[in-house]
Amino acid sequence: MEENLLKHYKYNPTILLGVDGATFHILDYLIAEGMMPNMSRFMDGGVRAELLSTRHPLTPPAWTTLMTGREPGNHGIFDFIWAERRDQEVYFTLNNFRDIQVETVWSMVSRAGGRATTLNYPLMAPPPEINGTIIPGLVSWKHLRRSIHPKDLYDRLKELPGFNPKEVAWDFDREKKATKVIPREEIKSWVEHHLRREQQWYQIFEYLQSNRPSDLTGILLDGVDKLQHICWRHLDPDCSATVADDFDREVQQLALQYFKDLDKFFGYVMDTARDQMRIFVASDHGFGPTEKVFRVNEWLSEKGYLKWTDTENLSKDERKKLEYMANNHFVHLDWDNTIAYAQSSATNGIHIQVQSAPGEPGISPNEYEDFCTRLCDELLAIEDPATGTRVVTEVLRREEAFPGAKNDRCPDLTLKLFDHGFISTLRKQPILWDRPEVAGTHQPEGIFMAYGPGIKRGVRLELQSISDITPTLLHSLGMEIPSNLEGKVMASAFASDYMEKYPVRFGEPTIQPDSYALQDQKPELSEDEQESIMDQLRALGYVE
Amino acid sequence: MDAVSNSEKQSILSFAVETLNEMTSDWDNEYDEPIGPKTKLIGDLAFESIDVVQLIVAIEEEFQSRSLSFEQLLMKDGRYVDEIVVEELVEFLDSQLNTA
Repeated sequence: MEENLLKHYKYNPTILLGVDGATFHILDYLIAEGMMPNMSRFMDGGVRAELLSTRHPLTPPAWTTLMTGREPGNHGIFDFIWAERRDQEVYFTLNNFRDIQVETVWSMVSRAGGRATTLNYPLMAPPPEINGTIIPGLVSWKHLRRSIHPKDLYDRLKELPGFNPKEVAWDFDREKKATKVIPREEIKSWVEHHLRREQQWYQIFEYLQSNRPSDLTGILLDGVDKLQHICWRHLDPDCSATVADDFDREVQQLALQYFKDLDKFFGYVMDTARDQMRIFVASDHGFGPTEKVFRVNEWLSEKGYLKWTDTENLSKDERKKLEYMANNHFVHLDWDNTIAYAQSSATNGIHIQVQSAPGEPGISPNEYEDFCTRLCDELLAIEDPATGTRVVTEVLRREEAFPGAKNDRCPDLTLKLFDHGFISTLRKQPILWDRPEVAGTHQPEGIFMAYGPGIKRGVRLELQSISDITPTLLHSLGMEIPSNLEGKVMASAFASDYMEKYPVRFGEPTIQPDSYALQDQKPELSEDEQESIMDQLRALGYVE
Repeated sequence: MDAVSNSEKQSILSFAVETLNEMTSDWDNEYDEPIGPKTKLIGDLAFESIDVVQLIVAIEEEFQSRSLSFEQLLMKDGRYVDEIVVEELVEFLDSQLNTA
């Protein structure tokens, strides 16, 4: 007789499989090729829809919206970093859990008396106290022990066969290489690293499901994003003509093995859920090809809105250092003569300097609107000289891109490029650079799927929103939906008789996280510390 | 620096030693002496700059503050220090916490 799994849980057990950067463009192709039979079974037995990311489809804001049901303008996360200009320097630090200004779904479940497990989700360190388990993502192996909740879990994980914290956690040195053009001979070992890394996470998931089951269990698998950035042409059937030699075919086979392994994991999760748990799948954004890079700070410089630091009067050592910095940072700007600049390639954002007092650098507050309008018009008029097509297809003002009460840290303008590529902040020519090979970049439409009791079967839904994931998970669990979430329950994913029996119930609004009170001030970082952080950001692929 | 003596400093020292032991327990360091007031974060424990940042986060979590002036610990005469000794860290925290 089938065991009733539900007796182990306070709420309806629900699983969230986060697949960073997953796109149906690749998944449907692999399913059609017979390489992902379990994914096919999942889609046939459940629902699927494209999932619209945040207005700028980037990992930190998008996953945070997914985890909170709030838009970036309210949760306050727009980038991997938080930057502030002080005098002639810009100080960076990495965003972490204490920068999320609203409650996460893990906390909502915990506060309602349930248990939550979150594995490899970003910005979950330092880990908050919840009833459940936290193993955060984007943490170096050296700090994994301290970043895990509960603290004694680390030693139990070390007893798992083959457990290797250096593979589980983020390998910043390895990923840093991957953001540049990886030497051909290193691509295979880099893909193999991600194959091994995901196996570590599969094992941890299985261990926790058996030994510390939670009402809500979320795991984030980020190898899809990593592989697609570097190996897009090996995976995209539209680029198959570029996979021309034996080496490329070996890389392709390794990349395909990643997806076969992912499919096995899906099969495992479906089998252990035994049609008694609901499984949701979501990506933070989609993916597609990019062939060109727009060097926006160079363009701003040519327009006279940005001035690079003058190098003529520097010593040889100072100039050498500046040249190094210019290739790795944007930060050496002449702030007294700069009006507009991009500080991070990740955000595709332009910041505008507004005078805090007459005579200060920047434009006066009453010039702001006219300047924004002029800059938007000029950006939208940029043409690719090779094709005559527009490079910037949309420019969003702060309130358009990220409306909300916590949007003071976001850029004044957010750019959408013709291929959804990321901007470059570097001091390099040409302004529009042709990549030597097609690479992968983020697209707004990711994936959503659901499977299990009460879920429709074999149905394609219309476009859904990433902010709807948290309320949908809460509804699956059988919990009330906090009244202040911007996301809505995806009612169309559930069978009509289920929704009639279990209608959406609204409850009290979420509460501020305990860490909110600690958001008063950030420590200043030394140049070395900033450099180390910048190395991490380069490793993430979004700072040059 | 004077030896760590009073009970408040002893309490901070205990926290620092416990945190450093926990933080470095998996680092495969060659340093096999017990961590104490004279231990050097960089010279003995092989701290890198990002490890200092993580230590700052741990301290902020422990003392529930993000407004400690760490630049006073990390900078001397306008330059960033090459080394931090545990007892310097304790002295810094003691002065910061007593003036906060």
